[in-house]
Amino acid sequence: MAWYHKAKSKAEKLVHRGLDRHVRVAVTGLSGAGKTAFVTSVINQLLHAPVEGHLTFLEPCRERRFKASKLAMHQELHIPKFDYQGCFGSLVDANPIWPSSTRNISQANISCRYKVKDKWLRKVSKDSTLTVEILDYPGEWLLDLPLLRLSFKEWSELCQQYLRRERRQQYASDVVKQLSELQYSEPVDEAEIDKLLSSVANDYRTALYDYRKYNKDFSLALPGRFLLPGELEGSPVLSFFPVISSDILSLDWEQFESQSLLKILERRYNYYQKHIIRPFFEEYFSKVDRQIVLIDTNSILESDYESYLDFKHTIERLLEGFSYGRSNWLKRLFSPSIDKLLIATTKADLVPPDQHASLESFMQKTVAQVKNDIGYEGVDVETMAIASVATSEPVTTEHDGKQLHCVKGLDVESRESVIHYPGKVPSKTLSREEWRKLEIDFSPFAVPCFSPDEPLPHIRMDKVLQFLIGDKFV
Amino acid sequence: MSDKPVKFYSSDKAHQKAEKLLNEQFEATSKTLVGKEFDNELAITLKSTKKKSVLKKLFWPSLSTFVIIAAGYEATSFITNLYNQHWLLGSAVGFLGGLIVISGTYSLYKGWRSRTRLKKRQRQQEAISGLLEVSSYGQANSLLAEVSEEIAKTANIDKLQQDYDKRKQQIHNDQELIQIYSSTILKGLDSAAIEVVTKHATEAAAMVALSPLAAVDMALVAWRSSKMIQQLSALYGCPQTALGRFEMTKRVFKNMMLAGASELVADAGVELLGKGLTATISTKAAQGIGVGLLIARMGLQTMHLCRPVPYNSETKPKLSQVRKSVLSKVIGLVKSASSDKSNKQGEKVKQQEALKQHNDYDDS
Repeated sequence: MAWYHKAKSKAEKLVHRGLDRHVRVAVTGLSGAGKTAFVTSVINQLLHAPVEGHLTFLEPCRERRFKASKLAMHQELHIPKFDYQGCFGSLVDANPIWPSSTRNISQANISCRYKVKDKWLRKVSKDSTLTVEILDYPGEWLLDLPLLRLSFKEWSELCQQYLRRERRQQYASDVVKQLSELQYSEPVDEAEIDKLLSSVANDYRTALYDYRKYNKDFSLALPGRFLLPGELEGSPVLSFFPVISSDILSLDWEQFESQSLLKILERRYNYYQKHIIRPFFEEYFSKVDRQIVLIDTNSILESDYESYLDFKHTIERLLEGFSYGRSNWLKRLFSPSIDKLLIATTKADLVPPDQHASLESFMQKTVAQVKNDIGYEGVDVETMAIASVATSEPVTTEHDGKQLHCVKGLDVESRESVIHYPGKVPSKTLSREEWRKLEIDFSPFAVPCFSPDEPLPHIRMDKVLQFLIGDKFV
Repeated sequence: MSDKPVKFYSSDKAHQKAEKLLNEQFEATSKTLVGKEFDNELAITLKSTKKKSVLKKLFWPSLSTFVIIAAGYEATSFITNLYNQHWLLGSAVGFLGGLIVISGTYSLYKGWRSRTRLKKRQRQQEAISGLLEVSSYGQANSLLAEVSEEIAKTANIDKLQQDYDKRKQQIHNDQELIQIYSSTILKGLDSAAIEVVTKHATEAAAMVALSPLAAVDMALVAWRSSKMIQQLSALYGCPQTALGRFEMTKRVFKNMMLAGASELVADAGVELLGKGLTATISTKAAQGIGVGLLIARMGLQTMHLCRPVPYNSETKPKLSQVRKSVLSKVIGLVKSASSDKSNKQGEKVKQQEALKQHNDYDDS
């Protein structure tokens, strides 16, 4: 009977390998949306998932099928590991602070062991493992996607229009002058001129970066890696800039010599397209199953109307990346596989719980059009108001003779207990006039002292996990 | 009123009034519609247009008053008659009559109470399903606490309650609270209820399969179903007395006929298959299975009526959960009956053989 046992164990092994599941979740959002805190919280919640009564809305936990989980090393060794210990450490430190922000791509793997639910699969193996791969990358990189379709000339034309606008002149006038003074047609030695190029590119970048910092505007004029170069810091591929003088743009570029400044810039742009943007999206779109986009709706509501419009535009552009998701040209290039997208508004702990619905509704209406487009492509889209790490607790108090739901947390400076009512959160998008009248203030709370052995307090992280990975625990 | 064109500016009274009205209107609509997106289906339902005429309504009350007065009159004359014959006889019968009146009133009162409980449960069901449709905050908690209190009176749910209390947080909105409630306390109650239904359905199936008379079958069905409804309703915290159960049975049957039609079609296939199989073994066993499934279906409908949070497609109890045990019970009965016979015969043969051997041994 030895052969029988051998065959049986071999068959079991094979089936087990078949049952070994992977789900790749990509986390993105513009800087300041709380990506790092989110990833830290996801890992923390999953590590505590087997605790009784924790993660109510995650199906395998509710059905008590979740057995154990642990952090594991990922197989894509060229991607840096997400520093969970460091991030969690800074949250439970004696002087707790928020973990530092995402500046590069990183990955964390968590292996979850659970009891199989499916009655046929259970006959083969009682337990199975799901590996949740969490990919954290700056949302700014996603904004590069439209660049793939533009030639250097087309891009330059777009940049010219962009820089001409009045709102940006204050920041851009110096660099525009510098760019127009350059000689584009003369043949030059690339090695010699490299230094000049990098300094001009640097000026160009700083000018737009400053503008962006104060106005929260992201645009094609500033490629994603200019903002967050990652490992490309200082390399010549980032030393290019658009040609913005109308004289040269109106010429036929075929006549320029290959050693001219113009051609050098064009080569670098093409290189950026081909070797930086494309490989990223190739890897990204072909392997990611689930995507979550984090949006800091609170800070949008606090800013002025112009910033709101800019922000809305940016978010739409960011999300467009997913609505191209399955359209023809991109499909041919990368064959994307994202089937679920969650758009979450973070920092809901600064809003009293009775207004979470309004917060979510406001965000949903802001992105309604592009959400619709993505849904059309067959991607399952959902919106939620969440807090990765809750720094407050809801309380009810009386104010002017009326009952008022508020949040209670620690003051940032003095660390004493403070109760805050942020104002009435609008549940729909506002006109310019209504926006002017809007009185709202979400002052952040200090990070309270968490126990390192307890799961981090959160708002709706269980629902997030259920939406993103809940269906994989079969 | 003139027909001339006129303009009202914001300082005019008419303008302010119009704005106030507009605001009120907006608030009224937005209150009901916060975050709510209507499902287009089922938005229109028929209003019940049936209205009984006053004369028709009067029939039952007048008849019952008439009977009560007549019976009371007859009873008093009967008692006075007896009293005239002998005072002891009269007072004994009078005492008996008094007992009847008091206990009757008491059970009527109880029946009325249980009916109001059922009505209250229906109001709760409506309120909760209303809350599930809008995204509201702070209303479900008190409602669910009230429901738990009612359930705790008749069923022991301490452990489930603890589980629920541990899971609920203040940040949860009404929908989430109801979902948690449904997945903790009510889920536990559901599985207990399914056990009750299975027990009664299999018992009834076995009894009908074994009973020799059709009249006994009917009595059995009535008795078991009434008992089951009593237990189920107590489990969900709206216990029904005999009178209340009558009302409940009426509703259960009504629901089974109206709402259950589609389920019937879905279940019929499997059910018929089961029946066909057993019918080849015995008609009586097939009847037993039929009755068992009927009782099971009644049980499921009772659960629908009593559960404070309406079922959704996931939590909905299915007949298949009960069917299997009903089938196996009856088939087991039939098998054991037939194998008993053959066993007995076999044992006789064995005994005889043993005796024979023994004799042979003695002989040698």
